[in-house]
Amino acid sequence: MVGETLIPTLLTIAWLLPLLGFAVEMLYGRKGERTTTKWPAWCAVACIGTGFLCSLIALLTWGQATGWAVLESHDLHGPDQHHSEDDPHHHGDSPKHQASTNESGWQMTALTATENSDDAEHVPFPSVYSGTLYTLGVFGSLVVSIDYYIDSLTLVMFTMVTLIATCIHLFAMGYMSDELTNEYVDHFAHTSDGKHVHRPGRFYRFFAYMSLFCFSMLGLVLAGNIFQVFVFWELVGICSYLLIGFYTERKSAGDAANKAFIMNRIGDFGFLIGLMVVWTWFGTFQFSELFDSLPRDATGHIVTNDLGEVAVSTHSGESRSIPYSLLVVAGLGVFAGCIGKSAQFPLQTWLPDAMEGPTPVSALVHSATMVAAGVYLVGRFYPMFVPEVLLTIAYIGAITLFLAATIAVVATDIKRVLAYSTISQLGYMMLGLGVFGWAAGLFHLITHAFFKSLMFLCSGSVIHGCHHEQEMPKMGGLMRKMPITAGTMLIGVIAISGLAVPGLIAFSGYHSKDAIVATALAFIQANPAHFLLFLLPLLTAGITAFYMFRLWFYTFFGEPRDQHIYDHAHESPWIMTAPLLVLAVFAAGCAIGGEKGMLYMMLLGSEPVHVANGVPAATVGELVLPGHSAIHDVHAKAGMWALLAAISGTLLAYVLYGTKTVNLSDMKRQLAGIHQFLSEKWYFDELYHALFMKPVHQVAALFAWIDRTMIDRVVHASAGLMVKISKWDRFFDETFVDGLVNLIARATFSSGILLKAVQTGRLRQYVMFIVVGVVALFAVLFTTFPN
Amino acid sequence: MNPTVLLSLIIFAPAIGALLLAFMDGRAVSLLRNFTLAITIITFALTLMLANQFNYGESGIQFEVVRNWIPSWNVYYRVGVDGISLPLVLLTTLVSMLAAVASWSINKLHKGYFILFLLLESGMLGVFLSLDFFLFYVFWEVMLLPMYFLIGIWGGPRKEYAAIKFFLFTLVGSVLMLIAMLMLYFTTGGQQHSFNLIELAKVAAGGSEHLTSGLTPKMQITAFVLLFIGFAIKIPAVPFHTWLPDAHVEAPTPISMILAGVLLKMGGYGIIRIAFPLCPYGAYCAAWFLVAIGVISIIYGAFAALAQTDFKRLVAYSSVSHMGYVLIGLAVWKIAEGQTVNPDMWNMGINGAMFQMLAHGISSSGMFFMVGVIYDRVHHRNLNEFGGLMGKMPVYSGLSVGIFFAGLGLPGMCGFIGEVFVVLSTWNFNPALAIVAASGVILTAGYILWALQRVYLGSEYKGPHAEEITPITPRESAVGYILLTLAILLGVFPGIVFSIMNGSVTELVDHMQAGYDHAATLLDQQLQAMR
Repeated sequence: MVGETLIPTLLTIAWLLPLLGFAVEMLYGRKGERTTTKWPAWCAVACIGTGFLCSLIALLTWGQATGWAVLESHDLHGPDQHHSEDDPHHHGDSPKHQASTNESGWQMTALTATENSDDAEHVPFPSVYSGTLYTLGVFGSLVVSIDYYIDSLTLVMFTMVTLIATCIHLFAMGYMSDELTNEYVDHFAHTSDGKHVHRPGRFYRFFAYMSLFCFSMLGLVLAGNIFQVFVFWELVGICSYLLIGFYTERKSAGDAANKAFIMNRIGDFGFLIGLMVVWTWFGTFQFSELFDSLPRDATGHIVTNDLGEVAVSTHSGESRSIPYSLLVVAGLGVFAGCIGKSAQFPLQTWLPDAMEGPTPVSALVHSATMVAAGVYLVGRFYPMFVPEVLLTIAYIGAITLFLAATIAVVATDIKRVLAYSTISQLGYMMLGLGVFGWAAGLFHLITHAFFKSLMFLCSGSVIHGCHHEQEMPKMGGLMRKMPITAGTMLIGVIAISGLAVPGLIAFSGYHSKDAIVATALAFIQANPAHFLLFLLPLLTAGITAFYMFRLWFYTFFGEPRDQHIYDHAHESPWIMTAPLLVLAVFAAGCAIGGEKGMLYMMLLGSEPVHVANGVPAATVGELVLPGHSAIHDVHAKAGMWALLAAISGTLLAYVLYGTKTVNLSDMKRQLAGIHQFLSEKWYFDELYHALFMKPVHQVAALFAWIDRTMIDRVVHASAGLMVKISKWDRFFDETFVDGLVNLIARATFSSGILLKAVQTGRLRQYVMFIVVGVVALFAVLFTTFPN
Repeated sequence: MNPTVLLSLIIFAPAIGALLLAFMDGRAVSLLRNFTLAITIITFALTLMLANQFNYGESGIQFEVVRNWIPSWNVYYRVGVDGISLPLVLLTTLVSMLAAVASWSINKLHKGYFILFLLLESGMLGVFLSLDFFLFYVFWEVMLLPMYFLIGIWGGPRKEYAAIKFFLFTLVGSVLMLIAMLMLYFTTGGQQHSFNLIELAKVAAGGSEHLTSGLTPKMQITAFVLLFIGFAIKIPAVPFHTWLPDAHVEAPTPISMILAGVLLKMGGYGIIRIAFPLCPYGAYCAAWFLVAIGVISIIYGAFAALAQTDFKRLVAYSSVSHMGYVLIGLAVWKIAEGQTVNPDMWNMGINGAMFQMLAHGISSSGMFFMVGVIYDRVHHRNLNEFGGLMGKMPVYSGLSVGIFFAGLGLPGMCGFIGEVFVVLSTWNFNPALAIVAASGVILTAGYILWALQRVYLGSEYKGPHAEEITPITPRESAVGYILLTLAILLGVFPGIVFSIMNGSVTELVDHMQAGYDHAATLLDQQLQAMR
């Protein structure tokens, strides 16, 4: 089939092009006049733009190759809709398409899981393309390689990432244009004499890093094995480090970059443990082999034997028993990596600090793509997660979404509000995945990517327009100065809040958040003990609407609070507003049709097989994981609750920030305690500093001390001992051995002196001595030997 | 070229160069430098030829050369190369070449320096290519002396202390090795005593046609411990490591590069070439201990690095930490019911350890070089008195950050492959040790990023001699680019190296199992005899 080679080739090209761009920009970026050279940016845009085209063609090819079976298999009105599927505008930016999907969408009957699986049997299509690009190392039967694994999720992610990245690159060309200078004045970095730092602009370097990031991110999505995911996982981490620390002169930027990377490494430590378990027990990293290896019975339970072990057949054909607990360890380990990357509780503190990076970075890396990689990985690795792990994921998600939302309520820095909102939304996705809403979680990933990147770019536009002012209390009334920004931002705000008029108009966030809340409701109906998993997201839906509208009213509505800033504010140039408009279209319409729409269906096509029917409890008290039909039953109810929450949050925000009926500073004073607590981000930074940073440095100092004093003391003591022995040896030598020798020498010498007297030089005397001597000798001879 | 000549030429080319240097005018400094560089380049080219002629499909020793040396003691001049020594030989000549480039910064007694430098290279190559234990020992000592003088004469303020400390530590190791060597020599019988490493290894596995051995399994353990301590000092493993920070801090930059890049590898090489094959049973008995020492080295070294304020000392401690992975990878040998558990995992561990040696050779010599570059300008190494170099020396900072990332174990660069492959193979041996070893990744990120921040980031340079900071010269950046390129190349295509080593490592794994079987049989016999 044509897709088998074409799709991987296209995606590989889309993946590698940004790397080429990075190399070119890094090596030649300094060529040309620094003040005008925009070509590195165009180079980056060309690479990622071509990548988008490749992804889009790959998506279409995939659709053609599979005959769009992923959509049709659930589609009762198949023939009606078929012609519109040939239309390349999947995300519903064609009005005709929108209409037809919408119409048929609401008429469609409920889809049940049985139909799903039946259809899948009838229409066999290669929904997954996997293969190996090259091997890193072969050790007997163990192979570590660079693979690809392409299913509809991969394709959707590719298209989403490349599209958003292209928009953000274009936006950044305008946003970063003040780097096009030989004398960039950094107002946030000071030298010791209190002056601003002056430095040459670094326009090209920004785009080089962005290209490197795109390469890493696409590699992560394309990865065909969990080890490769880890490789690119760390690479996106280092790109994030470089981009957060882009303003290297600022201490805060350096600190934030370090914090981001190290907190991610803490997660990666867990990830590594997960990898070790998988590697040791399964002997492979490849998704295609791993997913087939866990035995599940008809209800979706993992089959265990009496010892609580799971018998898996490894890729080399042998059968092996794996303790169930190790599956939990592996799952939790991999999820630990996701906690770090997606800034989930308890590793959430790095993301707000990461806002030190330029705003396009926050839009691309820290909201739309990299931080969502954790969610993506949970989705990708889903078949390997056992229910205990899923429950952990759900709770982590629920805690995170609530915690972050509460902080967002009091944050005043426009980017920080968005950062906390990102954490909170990522929590929603995790929750969705954890409560067995596989497609719901990933659905929200995609929609969130669009509306959050849109909002970040809008905030970037505001910051750019207000000359790097980020504090919302100094803004206000900007709607009149920057109408496009305000309008597109409003679309994003509505989308994230989940406001809609059901049946008439609904933006993307409404659909995806609904899907999550509905799944959560179905989950707690089956498992009432875990009611918090529904209550927290529902409550937070209201808080979300509140803080998002608070942001919007604060910034764009009402009267200007700082006349100086207001007077100098201006709408951004077209190169920045055009991406806003494009993203606004997608933020509004990418989820068109809701759970009967293109996007959701595409994602659903890659859903792990055991998810659709749900998993009933094997024994009493065990978790019940809801299937599609159970979720569908409560969908309308959940949606209504969520909408109510959102509306009340919106109204509250309007009353507090849109009108002047309430004195805000009075309120702040009354709630000073809680305000302080939230402003200090629940004191996590302080806690971690006391719990981890300090002890680590103390242990480090201790070890250095042990080296210097204890180990070296032993070394020096033994050396000293040697020296002492030598000294004693010398003393012995000099006094006794030498003394004896000297004694003999002295005796000889003095006898020589004595004998000197007889050495007169007179011949006669000598003859006399000889005669006397001879006679004496003879005398001795004759007396000793008489015969 | 005839491979038999080639090997000897590789070993002695630097020595010949040193001899020629002796006849040159000591004042013609640039001639001396260029000549030395030329010799190291020639040697490197020769090793490339060797790599080219090497048969990658074969697992045993290739190009073996045997000549009589001291016949009455059965000492031979016996050299050869296999998949384990070849990468290290390449690394040696490469690092020597780059160190020769870095030697431009030497500013006194040039002639003596370069003569010793070349002698040192000969000694190192001899160690990696010898297949006769006696010859190995001689080269081991030959390399020791030039190093002593290179640190002791051209070093920093405390050079005498550092040189003597280095010398004595290594000498203690040598003496222990000598004892073990004589043990092995006198217990082999049959036709005659032997120093032949290949035959001695075969004897240990009970597979020699020429020799018999009187070495009991218990004596094997003793011999192994003696050898291991000797090599552990060189690696250096905690707690035998304290010579290293001092030696590094005082040694001139190029010598630090060689010390970290090559000399430390001799410890690992000695274990894999001598201690393991000659005493397989001893190795098995000590495996847990070795892995534990490796893990301790990783954590201890990383913590100690975190506490340093001297840039070079920090890099030195990072060596202690990184070389811990080598010990772990080599020793993850687990036996259950007489059979190696999952031998492929151990195979991967050894491969990973070997790779880690190469990776560390590249990244740490690069790191030392980068420290040297800034030290040559500002003459201090206090981490708290740097900062803002990114703005003042952008190319230098970029290269440094790249090379430090390689040391940090960033995927796509060489350090990652070695570390992660070793760690992955460790769970099979012992999950607890594996987890502790893996936690090293956090600390490594901590000390390296913190150092980078203090040196390269920030708004301004805080130390003395700010006016001396000049952009990196082409000579210096060439070294940086070469090392960085290699770090990336090996990180992206580690298969290049694994394909060299794989055959020999697999053979070693099989050999060790055979050696264990042999020892187990002997022990059984003993037990029966006692009954």
